[in-house]
Amino acid sequence: MLSVLIISVFAGFLGSLTGLGGGSIMIPVLATFGVPVKYAIAASMVTIIATSSGSAASYVKERITNVKTAFYLEMFTIVGAIIGATITSFIAPRFLYFFFAGFLLTSFLGLSGHLRGELPKRVKQDRFSKWLELDGGYYDEAAKKEVSYKLKNALLGGPCMLIAGLAAGMLGIGAGAFKVSIHELILKMPSKVSTTTSNFIIGITALAGASVYFGSGLLFVGLAAPMAVGTTVGALMGGRILNRLPNRLVRYLFLVIVVALIAQMLYQGITSI
Amino acid sequence: MKRVLSEEKLDSLISYILIFGVLASVAVEIVGIADYHSSSGNLNILFQHSFAMKGTNFFSYAGELFQELSMGSWSPMQVLGLGIVVLMLTPYVRVVASVLYFSLVRNPKYLLITLFVLIVLTASLLQL
Repeated sequence: MLSVLIISVFAGFLGSLTGLGGGSIMIPVLATFGVPVKYAIAASMVTIIATSSGSAASYVKERITNVKTAFYLEMFTIVGAIIGATITSFIAPRFLYFFFAGFLLTSFLGLSGHLRGELPKRVKQDRFSKWLELDGGYYDEAAKKEVSYKLKNALLGGPCMLIAGLAAGMLGIGAGAFKVSIHELILKMPSKVSTTTSNFIIGITALAGASVYFGSGLLFVGLAAPMAVGTTVGALMGGRILNRLPNRLVRYLFLVIVVALIAQMLYQGITSI
Repeated sequence: MKRVLSEEKLDSLISYILIFGVLASVAVEIVGIADYHSSSGNLNILFQHSFAMKGTNFFSYAGELFQELSMGSWSPMQVLGLGIVVLMLTPYVRVVASVLYFSLVRNPKYLLITLFVLIVLTASLLQL
């Protein structure tokens, strides 16, 4: 437990710095140490509830998170997570290594030029999105002004979030980069709202996945408990120093870690055949 | 009622639920890990079926755990289990709070949306 606790602090710290999340780092590391990948995925799913809820709490209070949009999108992610976790409970572990490596590629979406840009301008809201009251406003500290926005394409965004939920439930990760891409590219959500709303949704999606792993007997408290404590502490530390690090360093760190994780999962997959 | 229960209040309530749930769960886990170390003399993780969280369903597991803890007889594994139960109940409670909020402010649209989320989660936690 002590080793898991220490590794989790590092994973939570690096996951928070790079935006990958603790789970994406912990699962390949645990697999390297011989922990069965399904047990690692199940424990990670519970861990994500802690890290996501911890950071979501302050953003909800500051009213940056769009809670109504989150409620709407959660309908899709929880169904996806239940399906995904059910698939993981039944399929051979070797497939999970390859799916994991493949899905890590979506982390690069976070570096895409389409994202993290300026606020979406002149968004023409469709009827369904308007009916769902998918709009909002928040005070932007950096720009020193009140930002108001409207969202669109709710009808398409929902089913896309089902896929995000499926991947999250299946692989025991938050799938944050994928969710943020849907928010920004399809719903036209401002970056800050997108990241914080994604964080809020990740917690409930993880609960849906964890409920399936509980029923499958894959959830071991001895593994999940130190992971939850470690990643929460690590994420807290990472969040505190993120603003002090140069962007270039964070990006290099991200690239090195993602490439290493993909290589590790591919190696595990190939050697398990 | 609508004016008294503004959306800001819902946001604050959700925020408090999340932060309290996470802090309580982490505190219980730390106690559980320390208790495990003092009783077994090591911190080895055992992947035996008896160490997996398993019950008829999540709520019956949580109920039995609370019952045993209230009777004063617990093992370190049960304390660790309690931490996980508190953690898993945290987002569940915020959905329950949201359902109550939207029913109080009479917003049928979001009452149905949050109710759907609550029903799906409850069914999954009940292993239906």
